[in-house]
Amino acid sequence: MKPNQFNQGLQHIEQRTRRFMLGAAAVLLLALLLIAVKQDYLVRSTTIYFFANNAQGLSRGMAVKFIGFKVGSVKSVSMEPNATVRVRVSLDDEYLHLIGQDAKARLIKEALVGESVVEIIPGTQPVQAVKENSVLVFERGQDAATLAESLALQLEPILNDIREITGSIKNPEGDLQRTLKNLNQASGDMQVMVKQFTRLAVSGNQTLDSTSGKLNRALDSVNANLQVLDSTLPGLLQKADSSLDNVQAATADIKLMTTESAGELPVFIHNTNALVQDGQDMLDGAKRTWPFRNFFPKAEPELLPVDGYVTPTKP
Amino acid sequence: MSATTIHLRQILFLLCALCGLSGCGQVEPVRNAKQLHAVEYGQRALRAFQLGNYETAENLYQQALRRDVEIENIDGIAVNTLNLARVNRILGRTARAHAYLDALLQDDALQYAPVYLATAATEKAALYLQANDLAAAESWLGKAEASCGDDCPLHGVIANVRSAIVLGTGDAVSSLAWGERAAAVNRNTSRMEYANSLRLLAAANLSLGQFENARSQLNEALDLDKSLGLPLKIREDLLLLARLHDALGQPQQAKRYQERAARLSSAP
Repeated sequence: MKPNQFNQGLQHIEQRTRRFMLGAAAVLLLALLLIAVKQDYLVRSTTIYFFANNAQGLSRGMAVKFIGFKVGSVKSVSMEPNATVRVRVSLDDEYLHLIGQDAKARLIKEALVGESVVEIIPGTQPVQAVKENSVLVFERGQDAATLAESLALQLEPILNDIREITGSIKNPEGDLQRTLKNLNQASGDMQVMVKQFTRLAVSGNQTLDSTSGKLNRALDSVNANLQVLDSTLPGLLQKADSSLDNVQAATADIKLMTTESAGELPVFIHNTNALVQDGQDMLDGAKRTWPFRNFFPKAEPELLPVDGYVTPTKP
Repeated sequence: MSATTIHLRQILFLLCALCGLSGCGQVEPVRNAKQLHAVEYGQRALRAFQLGNYETAENLYQQALRRDVEIENIDGIAVNTLNLARVNRILGRTARAHAYLDALLQDDALQYAPVYLATAATEKAALYLQANDLAAAESWLGKAEASCGDDCPLHGVIANVRSAIVLGTGDAVSSLAWGERAAAVNRNTSRMEYANSLRLLAAANLSLGQFENARSQLNEALDLDKSLGLPLKIREDLLLLARLHDALGQPQQAKRYQERAARLSSAP
């Protein structure tokens, strides 16, 4: 090989190596660019914070939504020296002007069994938009378990009231029982009095005065009992009123839960139907396939065996 | 040479295995929804029939027949019509049973398989036998035999019906002969029909005074009917055993069998 040719060969290799290296660098840059886009490095964002009592349900990368749109994400969840949890959130600058300083961050579930997200509840002062390092108030939204818990908490006093009322009614020393006893006694007195009165009518008017006295006493007793009843009833009615209020509040909660899950239910039922249909189709297919088809009766009309015996009849 | 042979053998073995597996994996032909519906009704009716719920069975067979008529499934129409005739015979609705059978036998538009026509004719014979019209029964039995080919599965049934017809005419000897022929055919094909043959043989033997034969045949028939769970047949066996003991001069035993039969009649 001549020196000239050798040099040309070397140049050729050098050119190819250069092209390869440039290509590799371009691919590397492209990959870095994609990573940057994915990580929102190219989006202008503002960091804000909120503090929570515990980190339950909060995680890095969690979506931050505002009126249903994703406006940022949770960048970090860390514990502070005072045992609170600091959550760093990155918000797209594009939406920043919509979020007021007094906006709240609320941890909610998107559906009964959906993912948790941080929802920004808009504040009342949208002119003062959040800025870098603003701190929002945090609250936890009610999930199904919390609702059930609050429902149980609200039902507890109702049950206690009902128990108390029942106990008061059943208590032999209670007002109501005592009133009833007294009424019973008065009724007995009245009966005796009526008997005596009848006797008097037969024998004359000898004991009219004493009966009249007894009648007065009996009427006094009835009057006293009615007074007791009068004083007891308002208390009972008040208790019944507060019980009814609690029942009303509980019903409202149940209605809220039902409304929240109403959108999900038709989809859930539809999916279940589709699942059952698929299962049925698979089962039908399996029933027609060896060896399973041997386990099922054949899908053919079956003739009852002819019975050649006829019960003899007497002519 | 030897290696080549082994190689060929292996290939052949693999091919055979593949053919076998493809046969096993074969899927039954897909039936349309109406056909499957009709079959489903038929299967439910069969279960009701086996449990003695004849009214339910009739309703379900009617539903099955309606579906089969809608899609002109000839086999289904024949099977369900025959089943309806059979159910109505058990329910004692002989006119309706005859109507179903006539619809099948007089249908010129559809071509039914000979076995169905033979079955219908046998059912007609049984219905006439039940009405004690022995001549008509004999006539229909002849038609059944004519429709039934050599490999017809009804030979045993036809022999049983003929045995009953001749017994009805008082010819116990011929009845015995037909009963034996029927028992020979039915022994290995149908336990229910074999029990029928035994019952007919016992009745003929009773008429002929051959009590020991009758006793053993009735006991065997009773065991079979109990194993098949057929209350009406069990009752028949017990009544024949009562007749046997009466004939043997054992009124106490006869009364006991009658009591057992009566309990079956009044069973819920």
